[in-house]
Amino acid sequence: MTRPTAKEIRAMSDVADVPVDNDVAARIANSIGPAFEGFAPVSGTLPFDLEPATFLLVRAPQVTK
Amino acid sequence: MSGEPALMSLTAVAKAIAAKQLSSREVTQSCLDRIAKWNPRLNAFMALEADDALKAADAADAALAKGGPKGVLHGVPLAHKDMYYDEGKVVTCGSKIRKDFVAPTTSTALQRLKDAGTVRLGSLQMVEFAYGPTGHNPHYGAVRNPWNTDHITGGSSSGSGSAVAARLTFAALGSDTGGSIRMPAHFCGVTGLKTTVGRVSRAGAMPLSWSLDTVGPLAQTVEDCALLTQLMAGADPEDPTASDLPVPDYMAAAKQPIRGLKIGVPSAFYVDDLDAEVARVLDETLAVLKKEGAEIVKVDLPDQRQLTAACQFVLATEAAALHKRWMIERPQDYGAQVLMRLQNGLAIPAVSYLEAMRWRGPALSAYLTAVEGTDAVIAPVAPMPAVTIAESDVGNSLEAEAVIQRITRFTRPINYLGLPSLSIPTGFTRSGLPVGMQIIGRPFDEAMLIRIGAAFQRVTDYHQKVPKLS
Repeated sequence: MTRPTAKEIRAMSDVADVPVDNDVAARIANSIGPAFEGFAPVSGTLPFDLEPATFLLVRAPQVTK
Repeated sequence: MSGEPALMSLTAVAKAIAAKQLSSREVTQSCLDRIAKWNPRLNAFMALEADDALKAADAADAALAKGGPKGVLHGVPLAHKDMYYDEGKVVTCGSKIRKDFVAPTTSTALQRLKDAGTVRLGSLQMVEFAYGPTGHNPHYGAVRNPWNTDHITGGSSSGSGSAVAARLTFAALGSDTGGSIRMPAHFCGVTGLKTTVGRVSRAGAMPLSWSLDTVGPLAQTVEDCALLTQLMAGADPEDPTASDLPVPDYMAAAKQPIRGLKIGVPSAFYVDDLDAEVARVLDETLAVLKKEGAEIVKVDLPDQRQLTAACQFVLATEAAALHKRWMIERPQDYGAQVLMRLQNGLAIPAVSYLEAMRWRGPALSAYLTAVEGTDAVIAPVAPMPAVTIAESDVGNSLEAEAVIQRITRFTRPINYLGLPSLSIPTGFTRSGLPVGMQIIGRPFDEAMLIRIGAAFQRVTDYHQKVPKLS
């Protein structure tokens, strides 16, 4: 997983209808970049049949004693 | 009764009013007197409604004289984080954008406390749109820590932490999306309960991230938090994500001993790079729990850094989606740091956000496997005690996110996993700043956290310490 560059962030923000200038894009890249590195070991490794609602199943009956 | 009523705990003052040992007016006036002295130093209140509070207190006293109490909090004055809708009242959400927003409804959590008989004192300060961990607010000023007013309260429930610590209100609602109840509780020396996602309805509470947002109380004691959670928890037709699981008897849990319980201490991450005084307080806390009969065991948790990153993806993306209209129409009305953090969400691809959402189940499963055999896990809330307002006033500078990440390092993984976590005051630094620990439980097992926290408070007095106005 690669952290996005400022140039890529400018393009993404344009598409999202919230355009940002070069300085802001550089600041976003600096700010959010480490999260991409942190999530890299998980990215692209998840099994095909996994959906977000699995979380609700896992958390349901977990009360102790 | 002798002494200053405002210094009593929530449960004690509620009993005293119900037993007619104190009137609601006496209690409310006592809070207002402390607010008059302290608030100019702390900036904890967003709005103070003294006249209305006294009128409501008189009405509560009159009703009690005619019959029984309306509920278990009859006549008890409270103030809450200014993000809980209260029909007809201005709810700023700590922002310029909503400075004149009049709530069209009342939030379920607040309504349930009103139904129990509470009196409204006003509303409490908070970080703009609850998006920040320090307590700075460029529109309304930083809230100050009553233990040392040069230091932060923590955020985003900054006013709640400060006001409860200074005994300006008996308790306050906070919200916790990335640590916003536990951090003010830790930095200000009060008790705070982050509930399981879905335990308390979010209807009428300002959203920040619908997957992570939780409603919970800050108060003097674990018993106080237990009572408030008892009143607020449970299904709500206004919030389809609120769980319909039965609500246990939290007040009964607060009376149970902890002998024989097994409490896990992480072997890494939560004990790495701790401030020396936080490390000392952790050791002292474990010693108390051991003395009370709990067994302390090491637990090897999965990599928490990945959870932090996943939490950041979910929070930043959902917050940006919620705020998109204002980011387009009114970007100049946001504070610099909040706007920067909202803009972060623009840089996260939809696929990455959804991967973070898909991974939540397996990540929770791996955590629960790692803590199997334990009843709860204990860890510091933050690696350090409250830093100064000056040193954490980083705005939207290049180092801002690093400062935020360091403060929220131990809270965000718990939000991502949706777990309950109780922050209790467990000691002080040599310079007199509070230090808290979080007790982390299984989903919907708030009762276990209350049991452990209350047992700790039965044999310690950190939660009873009151800051002095210098």
